[in-house]
Amino acid sequence: MKGTDAHNEKEDRMSVRGGWQGRVGLVGLALVAVTALAMSGSAFGGGVQSCGTVVINEQSWAGSTANTYVAKYVLEKRLGCKVKLTQVTEGPPYFQAMRDGKVDVALEDWDNTATKQAQPYLKDGSVRIIGSNGITGVIGWYIPRYLLKQYPAFKTWRGLKGKEAVFKSPESGSQGMFLGGDPSYVQKDRALIKGLGLNLKHVVAGAEPAQVARWSQLYKQKKPVLFYWYDPQYLNAQYDLYRVALPARFKGCQDDEKQGGDPKTYACEYPSYGLDKLISKKFATSGSPALTFVKKWKWTSADQNFVANLIAGKKMKPEKAAEQWVKANPGKVNAWLK
Amino acid sequence: MASVAETVTPAPIVVHRHWWRGRLVQVTGIVALMYVAYRAWAIEYPWPNDLVWNSLSLHLDDFQVWLLTERGKEDQSIVFTVFEGFSSAIDHLVEWFNRLLLWLTWVGTTVAGVALIFRFGGLRAATIMLFAFAAFALTGLWEESMQTLALMLVSVGLSLLVGIPLGVAAGRSAGFRRAIAPVLDAMQIVPAFAYLMPVAILFSIGPAAAVVSTMIYAIPPAIRITALGVRGVPVSTVEAATSMGATRMQLIGKVQLPLARRMILLGVNQTILFALSMVVIAGLIGGGGLGAVVTSGLYSNPALAILAGLAIVIIAMALDRSTEAIAEQTDPAHRHLDETRKRRLRLQTLAIVGTIVAGVGISKAFGAAGAYPDEAGNPPHTATIEEWLLTKIQVVLDYVQDPTTWVFAITERVGIFILQQLLLPLQEFLMEAPWFTTVAGLTAIAFVVSGLRPALTTLAMLGSIGFTGIWALAMDTLSQVLVATAIAVAIGVVLGVLAAESNRFSKVMRPVNDLLQTLPQLVYIIPFIYLMPVSIVPGSVAGVLYAFPVTLRLVERGVRDVAPTSVEAASAFGASRRQVLTKVKLPLAGDAVMLGVNQAIIMVLALVVIGGLVGSGGLGYEVAQGLVRGQFGQGVIASVAILALGIALDRVTQGTRRSRKEGIA
Repeated sequence: MKGTDAHNEKEDRMSVRGGWQGRVGLVGLALVAVTALAMSGSAFGGGVQSCGTVVINEQSWAGSTANTYVAKYVLEKRLGCKVKLTQVTEGPPYFQAMRDGKVDVALEDWDNTATKQAQPYLKDGSVRIIGSNGITGVIGWYIPRYLLKQYPAFKTWRGLKGKEAVFKSPESGSQGMFLGGDPSYVQKDRALIKGLGLNLKHVVAGAEPAQVARWSQLYKQKKPVLFYWYDPQYLNAQYDLYRVALPARFKGCQDDEKQGGDPKTYACEYPSYGLDKLISKKFATSGSPALTFVKKWKWTSADQNFVANLIAGKKMKPEKAAEQWVKANPGKVNAWLK
Repeated sequence: MASVAETVTPAPIVVHRHWWRGRLVQVTGIVALMYVAYRAWAIEYPWPNDLVWNSLSLHLDDFQVWLLTERGKEDQSIVFTVFEGFSSAIDHLVEWFNRLLLWLTWVGTTVAGVALIFRFGGLRAATIMLFAFAAFALTGLWEESMQTLALMLVSVGLSLLVGIPLGVAAGRSAGFRRAIAPVLDAMQIVPAFAYLMPVAILFSIGPAAAVVSTMIYAIPPAIRITALGVRGVPVSTVEAATSMGATRMQLIGKVQLPLARRMILLGVNQTILFALSMVVIAGLIGGGGLGAVVTSGLYSNPALAILAGLAIVIIAMALDRSTEAIAEQTDPAHRHLDETRKRRLRLQTLAIVGTIVAGVGISKAFGAAGAYPDEAGNPPHTATIEEWLLTKIQVVLDYVQDPTTWVFAITERVGIFILQQLLLPLQEFLMEAPWFTTVAGLTAIAFVVSGLRPALTTLAMLGSIGFTGIWALAMDTLSQVLVATAIAVAIGVVLGVLAAESNRFSKVMRPVNDLLQTLPQLVYIIPFIYLMPVSIVPGSVAGVLYAFPVTLRLVERGVRDVAPTSVEAASAFGASRRQVLTKVKLPLAGDAVMLGVNQAIIMVLALVVIGGLVGSGGLGYEVAQGLVRGQFGQGVIASVAILALGIALDRVTQGTRRSRKEGIA
């Protein structure tokens, strides 16, 4: 708050210096502000606090952009909040931002809260999990569906055994290539390959856009490729991909390969992730009407893929894409506002 | 494996010695032995597990948690209070700047900026500024650009404020220079990803953390190049001044600084470019602005990421050209003011102030505050400029991403060739050779080329890499770094000499260099992967493209600064142009050339993390993973290994520096 006060003072001084125009403008602004406040106040009945500013953190992937802009649109247009977006990177950096009160909400956390570094933030309550955003995240090994015509056995990992050389690439020698995922994503493929006894070479493709460049180039040439991938993801609407079945989960099956140990203990499919909404302590205790909205906010993979595809696939401005979805889904939107 | 020998030792000058005592021969011999050992025992001797300190990364993780709890305590130590005060001061400064720029509206800011630059920097710089502001407004990235501009003005200002005085001190005292050299290496090489989290904990997420991370990277060139300039002031001039009774302050202010002016300006230029190259990383911890647009654009709209990347380049060039023009105009050497000129300047100042007030006033009065040319009305021609640009960029991207074009047919094959013939064999050699022969071999090479102490340092660095348990990853990265550095140095030296000899070539190269140094690498390397879909190669290309401009600039400056008397003397003796270049100019520019080589190593290493993000794997991937997946320890260990590689490589090349000096003497 101190910051904004200081700033206002500055701004006031500057306006005064600007002469009578500035003063008239200021009076006008004040009038508008008062009316806006009065209107928003009356719209939600006496007792409710006005919304103020909500800071939502947008993560790098397109699905997160879709979440963020839809929430922003509804908060601004229906609740009269002011929404500020930040782009702090996920994991410890955005936990720290929440702790310092710089970020209020993150709408899609892929299990970052399970890491060791997250525990201090959760323990002292500076970051709080407030339920699922309605989407189940799926991670796995994917191949283009056209491969199944020639190799129907590739539906499961057993079918890959002995046929690894199909996935040969310039860097994998005689082995098949497995394209690993973005460094910021949950992964255990090296251990999984060893545990399943497959003759695959794990090749790191780098960040997601780089990985997409690798596999989509092979896809366009109808060549074989096996890679780490996930859903919901807007590209799944553009490319017809198939998730190879990995061994079912068993008790004690591990997922974080950094823990080390026997690769066999990793030889099961990835768990499904309930994607969480996170809020900061400051926001949780603010009593803002936006808090109730964020608590109720949830949608489906299909909804998210639809909006993300408008943004990333069709290159529509995020604001427009959000508007289009909100107008087409009044029922869902109203449920968030009840 | 001859390539290894060549990269490590530029051919030394051997005169009266038996052929087997030549350094090149000895190094080749060592490499041959290493190769024999590799053929005999490949993969049999990886770094032994008994020699690894496995719990180190856990201790580092604990350190971060400790820092976090200490910072969060009610009765926190005074140290944290100081950090908090500093960070909120910076936060406010950046925010205030940013709000001022936005409050002025885009018309007002443009008028004010251009008028100010016109007053102090002249017409040319003002035109560039006008072009830059127009570009921000027309691309629909005005607010983001202003945010980045505010952040960078503060970062660059503070970096110079710290860097130039330290540079002067380093230029005057060899002891101080030696003492800070390793610190500067560390600041430049240790990837920002490793310290982003501690910085974010200490300074909180936001502009302050972004400014601090940027400063860590941007201060070293200011110090280094200023020191080089001050050192380059002829000893005789300094002695003359001292003998005439100049005090120390007079000596610095009236002799050393003015004479080192050109080098210091290069330092300012490099500080600006280094700072702007941090925009994207600063965006990860709350710097916002164009950096954040680039990052999210890479995932959902690459054309937008390219546009934002170009806006970063434009900021860099506008800042650089205007500081240069201002320095030029206010240069006391060219500035003789008589009464009429003074009066004219005063009038000019008044007119400028009037213009600014009028411009801002009018734009405020007509409510241009919230309206940008890209959004105004429906559909004026400006409204489509952003979209038009984006579709044009998209056309290029679509072509690049099409694997049926003839371009792809060529680039893919070239990529596979480089990968299979050059990078993979070297990688395999370094990763699979027995660890002890690699350690012994590299230490021996350092001994032959540079002497005992550098060899001991190299041994210690390699030992510490193995000890922290990432030997194989480090060897993977080393193989890539060797190749990229060798190519970057070769390109940088050749183009640097050309630029020094031809003004026209220099003019052409300057914007190219600016572009390569500040355009976020991911923005152009990811489209590049579509053309060359193999791992490692794109990352190495990024390293070469980022490193050679620095070498080029230093070599150019060094060769140009060679005293004209030496050149004239040589020409008078009938030396040809080529002889003058190779026998006089290059040896006399030795210091600048060697700083160029050192900087090439550092720049390639600075891009190791970017390499990790585009498929180079190795240490870079570990570092990137460390930041976001909450494996702080892992990130720090990998980063320190990158630093250790840097120090070892520097020590190996250091020897040639000494031998060259002896050659001159």
